[in-house]
Amino acid sequence: MRKTHLLFGTALCALATQGYAQDGMACKGTLPALNVIAQGMPAVTALDAHLSEFNDKWGTEVKITMLGENERRAKARLDASTGAGSYQVVYIDEANLAEYVSADWIYPLADVVPESYDLADFRTDLSNVATVDGVQYFAPFVGGGDVMMYRKDLLEAKGIAVPKTLDELVAAVKALNDPEGGVYGWSARGQRGSGMNVWRWTPFFRAEGGEWLDGDMPAFNSEAGVKATEVYMDMMQSSPPGVATFNWSDSVEAFRGGQVAILIESDVFGPWMEDQEKSSIVGKVGYAPPPDPLPSAGWSHGWAVSKSGAAEDCAKTIAGDFVGWATSKEMEQNRLAAGIASDIGRVSTLQSDGFKALVPQEYIDALLDTGPKTSLLIMASPVWPEIGDTLGLTLEELFAGTRDDVQAALDEAAFFAEESLMRVK
Amino acid sequence: MTRKRFVILSLVPAIGLLATLAVVSIAGAVWFALMNRTLRSPDYDFVGAYNFLRLLRDHRFFNALEISAIWELVTVTGTLVVAVLLAVLIFETVKKPLWRNLISFAFLVPVLLPRVAAAFIWRFLYSPSLGAINYLLSLVGIGPVEFLADPSLALVSVAIVDIWQWGLFFTVILLKLMETLPRDPIEAAKLDNARTWEIHAYITLPMLKGPLISLALVKAVESLRSFDLIFVMTGGGPGTATETLDLYAYQMGINMGGRISYASAMSILLLIVTTVAFTIIWKAGKKWAN
Repeated sequence: MRKTHLLFGTALCALATQGYAQDGMACKGTLPALNVIAQGMPAVTALDAHLSEFNDKWGTEVKITMLGENERRAKARLDASTGAGSYQVVYIDEANLAEYVSADWIYPLADVVPESYDLADFRTDLSNVATVDGVQYFAPFVGGGDVMMYRKDLLEAKGIAVPKTLDELVAAVKALNDPEGGVYGWSARGQRGSGMNVWRWTPFFRAEGGEWLDGDMPAFNSEAGVKATEVYMDMMQSSPPGVATFNWSDSVEAFRGGQVAILIESDVFGPWMEDQEKSSIVGKVGYAPPPDPLPSAGWSHGWAVSKSGAAEDCAKTIAGDFVGWATSKEMEQNRLAAGIASDIGRVSTLQSDGFKALVPQEYIDALLDTGPKTSLLIMASPVWPEIGDTLGLTLEELFAGTRDDVQAALDEAAFFAEESLMRVK
Repeated sequence: MTRKRFVILSLVPAIGLLATLAVVSIAGAVWFALMNRTLRSPDYDFVGAYNFLRLLRDHRFFNALEISAIWELVTVTGTLVVAVLLAVLIFETVKKPLWRNLISFAFLVPVLLPRVAAAFIWRFLYSPSLGAINYLLSLVGIGPVEFLADPSLALVSVAIVDIWQWGLFFTVILLKLMETLPRDPIEAAKLDNARTWEIHAYITLPMLKGPLISLALVKAVESLRSFDLIFVMTGGGPGTATETLDLYAYQMGINMGGRISYASAMSILLLIVTTVAFTIIWKAGKKWAN
């Protein structure tokens, strides 16, 4: 009797699986183009070499629209909010996830991505950022926290130890600053944007004990906010010219070009420094966690399926499969094989020999040491992009010198935030 | 069918289509401007003139208005001055048609470049640490100059790119117009021993008054649409030093909180201000030309 049950159950399972597969494959050729909006991270550009495989599987053509971070956010939001639905797959990050979930613009990941892609293998720190109220919404392929990168040769030449505290960092940056010799002590993001200057300023704000909200009211115009801004601006004095409008790319390229002695940036940029073709400082870089009490700003970028873009069942199936395929273990191994070690979304990849072969052990150690300091430091609110962008504008004005009263500037940004927070209630 | 009737019947479809397109979009903007619609939520309410009243208290809006006015003035004046000076210089110094044509062709290249491409090229040229301009300046002991990060230089630095694109294009137009002018008044002035600058200041340029006014108006309208150039080069920064009205409307309506109603109110005000300003300028220009 039990045997019969077992057989019956197995048959049912097989039928169900077959039915699923047939349903899925029945969608082949039904979607002429799968539109994807993205940002030019290595994990995205590396997909190009493999797209034909996906196109052949589904009889479709994947079209990836590549934009800068701010533009990508603006365009994706416009597309989702107007219900235009031009994109089936959207690129989501830590700053706009709350907004997308509260507005019901994307599907929960498990509803669209087949189980065979092993969702449990995604790195926990990244999955946490991709999760709201226990439901994961995007498949992360890049993310992490911060790492301090320093030029071992320059520190050695001046007899300076690797900074362990923020005070030591400030002192080291000033001591290493030598514009005449073509080397600046520090570099940072100055350009406005919740994901730009505000992102790098936030650890300084948190290190001073700053909190975004006091009850329902904005509180970043506190003493901590003022102190953080002053320290940030003081360090900018030891940075390359034009830093007031630097984005992350300007900052990272200045370091990679050998012009900067110490940089705290997102840890994914570590492997960029070891790129034989593009980096002029290969082998000269040391890695360490950000000095205390600076926390590490956790972040994550990934793919999600848009509800308005993939309203039809087949579009949903193909878009879901794309998300799974583009973030699969195999795809990460393909990237490692191509020498890309910066974008890792899966635990299995971090543990693989391929990864260990590509990056210095010191970098892996710094990643492990930074892990406990990493968390989401920004305000987790649907109106964060708006509040963060206004704060970013204020900070840029202070950095560029168009205003000089830090307290008054932050008060103004907080006043604006008050109105935004009222509207979310 | 009378001639008048034929003209009216021929024009009605085209004008009807244009009017419909304009009326629909303007009516849409007015409708949004009276609501409190944001991109984040499908719910919205009627708020009357609130968005317009808020604009009157928004110092960033007035800053954007001022930047737009300065931008118009600098780019239109700069373009015309560069075009007139270069056209006169080439007219006087380059006599061979082949050389003139080659120069004209070279001068047409910048305006044929897509704005975004031009913006990226110049952004790189202006870079304080990697740019060619700062390298040249360093040879004579100047710099590094933060062209795009210094609030007092940023707007002028972007305007130079606009003038580079359009000033050279207008030079070609003016040069070709000067070649078509009758030679008699110029020969007569030469017989009276007039100096070269006097010939141009009192004879050729006054003869080109009509085309110059048209070029100024074309440039003024074109300058209103410099969003792409400014957006790529500075994004409106540093701070709000290069934030024109269209850029601010974009930041408010799409890039920031998606306050589409507020941005619509701004667009409506921009429409009114430009329509009034251009009507006055057009009438004044017509009077002057006569």
